[in-house]
Amino acid sequence: MKHIVKIMALLVVMSALWVSLLQTSKIPESYTLLLPLYFIVSLGCYGLLMVGVGLMQFPTCLHEAVLFATVCALLVLEDIVEAKEYLKQNGVDVGSNS
Amino acid sequence: MELADRAVGLLLSVISLSIFTYYTFWVIILPFVDGDHFVHKYFLPQEYAILIPVYAGVALICFLSVFIGYVMLKSKKKKS
Repeated sequence: MKHIVKIMALLVVMSALWVSLLQTSKIPESYTLLLPLYFIVSLGCYGLLMVGVGLMQFPTCLHEAVLFATVCALLVLEDIVEAKEYLKQNGVDVGSNS
Repeated sequence: MELADRAVGLLLSVISLSIFTYYTFWVIILPFVDGDHFVHKYFLPQEYAILIPVYAGVALICFLSVFIGYVMLKSKKKKS
């Protein structure tokens, strides 16, 4: 709730500045009319920049992922061997490959 | 894969920063430069500072709408 108030205040201040700039017409009006568009374009640029920075610094843990996959594969293999043994003891044919 | 992501991120940052710099020069600084200065050769006329962002925004919105519609159609087909 506090954040939106801050953003709204900023917007109000900026529009007031813009209107005053329009009224005083210190610089040509065609340039003053461009300022809101400039604001939108800079906002888009900021968003794109944040996406780029986030993509660059995205935390990936490749080493841990490989380690985890290896451990999981070993555990699963162990389970498979154990299950085959159990089934063989109970007289179920599970094939003898691997 | 990781390196490609990083390259894309760097590319996006560079593109956004260059667009921001160019547009700032175009809109903010150029009004205070004399009309016959050589810098004006490197910038399009002032109308294009409105036209290009508006066209880009409309194209972006169209693309987003098409994409959302496509995704919704696909998800509905999968459900039935």
